[in-house]
Amino acid sequence: MFDVAEKYLTISSINEYIKTIFEENEFLHKVYLKGEISNFKNHTRGHLYFTLKDDASRISAIMFYNRAVTLNFTPEDGMNVLVEGRISCYPVGGTYQIYVDKMEMDGLGNLYIEYEKLKQKLAQEGLFAKEHKKPIPKYPQKIGIITASTGAAIKDILSTIKRRYPICETILFPSLVQGASAAADIVRQIKRANEFDLDVIICGRGGGSIEDLWAFNEEIVARAIYESRIPIISAVGHEIDFTIADFVADLRAPTPTGAAEMAVPTILDTLNIINEKRIRLNQTIMHKIKNMQHIVETLKNSYVLKNPMTLYELKEQKLDNILDKLNNHILEKIKTGQNKLEVVKNSYILKNPLAIYEPAKNEIKSFNMKLNNFIQHYLEQQKHQINLLINTIELKNPLTILEKGYSLVTKDANLIKNSNQIAVNDTVNIKLYEGEIIATVKEKK
Amino acid sequence: MEKEQTFESALENVEQILKELESGEIDLDKAIDKYTEAMKLIKFCNEKLASATEKVNKILNEDGTLTEFNVEE
Repeated sequence: MFDVAEKYLTISSINEYIKTIFEENEFLHKVYLKGEISNFKNHTRGHLYFTLKDDASRISAIMFYNRAVTLNFTPEDGMNVLVEGRISCYPVGGTYQIYVDKMEMDGLGNLYIEYEKLKQKLAQEGLFAKEHKKPIPKYPQKIGIITASTGAAIKDILSTIKRRYPICETILFPSLVQGASAAADIVRQIKRANEFDLDVIICGRGGGSIEDLWAFNEEIVARAIYESRIPIISAVGHEIDFTIADFVADLRAPTPTGAAEMAVPTILDTLNIINEKRIRLNQTIMHKIKNMQHIVETLKNSYVLKNPMTLYELKEQKLDNILDKLNNHILEKIKTGQNKLEVVKNSYILKNPLAIYEPAKNEIKSFNMKLNNFIQHYLEQQKHQINLLINTIELKNPLTILEKGYSLVTKDANLIKNSNQIAVNDTVNIKLYEGEIIATVKEKK
Repeated sequence: MEKEQTFESALENVEQILKELESGEIDLDKAIDKYTEAMKLIKFCNEKLASATEKVNKILNEDGTLTEFNVEE
């Protein structure tokens, strides 16, 4: 029993011992790990507990509140992160864990943020707007392909076009589609392709990781697609939903094969369409001709065309009708005239002309009388007036004054009222009541 | 077909003529002219499809030349 006590250690002591081993190892004082977060738990006191894992393995992690507040993102399960910290043992749980000092999103997460920012910016600029989408021609004659000259994408595109619409010409503009220079190379080839007389361009690559496809999320590629004179079908991978190139392209295909299917019709469909048009054309024209034939038939069978004399007969009858009407009309006029004449002839006045004269004679007589009376009256009035005037004139007549012994002196018919009017030796006339004296002026006073 | 007719424009013209004919507002003489024209266009399209041999795939090289391109199997 005593031996047993000597030989066996307590859990606490072994865990404490193990802890010292961790802490003595300098390498574990500062480690850099990359992995995916799982079992993430944000404790109410602000410490973060989670597991970091890769495909095969996992490690517990803790990030204390004072470190966690420095994070520029909210960690969550499934997120790939880069962490810095020390590794030690937690004796109470018998576990070792990483005490995280710093944590940031792994490339993928950062790329995602970049992607969202660029997407928003270009959307605001209107690069994704529907009205900028160019129509894709239905029957292209020449197609440009911008992708790698090797790999599944070009193979899929060419074999799809060959199968569906082999009469279409293709030109490959070989481009890098992944790596740091890929974006610039894609842009260069889009510009080169625009120098050719192409109906449509397919631009893309096969599937890959988001990093592999990243060139298609670059701003310069988006702008080159937007500025392309020739419509572009994007055909990027199939592992993520959409690249920026997909948004800005005139048409988005999920895969290179899909893009080729969108770019060309099938010969068979095309033949069917032509045939359908031919049938419609024939039916329409036959229908039209039948219609015309029907109209011609109807006309041919018409009563009038079959009995041309009826046309003449109809006219004859109409002429008779008109003549009858004309005759009736004239007779009517004459009759009305005769009636009017008869009325005039039989009038009272024509039969008794004096009937007009008598009343007129009486009227004249009465008028004459009235006129005479009026003149008589008027004359009386005038006479009275004249007498009044004569009396007045009598009073004012100079001759009446002369009668009283006064006389009028005139020179050259001017009445002399002032001695200034004449000079000595002037000849003056002196009018008396009876007779006139012609005198010479001797003196003026 | 004075100017260079493309397959697509030929088909569009046929459709246009069809619509005119189907509208019925066209006299017979004109309709027959249009019909003849449309039939010519259809013949053109068919010939274009039938005669077109398989086109060679090309690649634009760095020096700007176009050469035949074959996918590596």
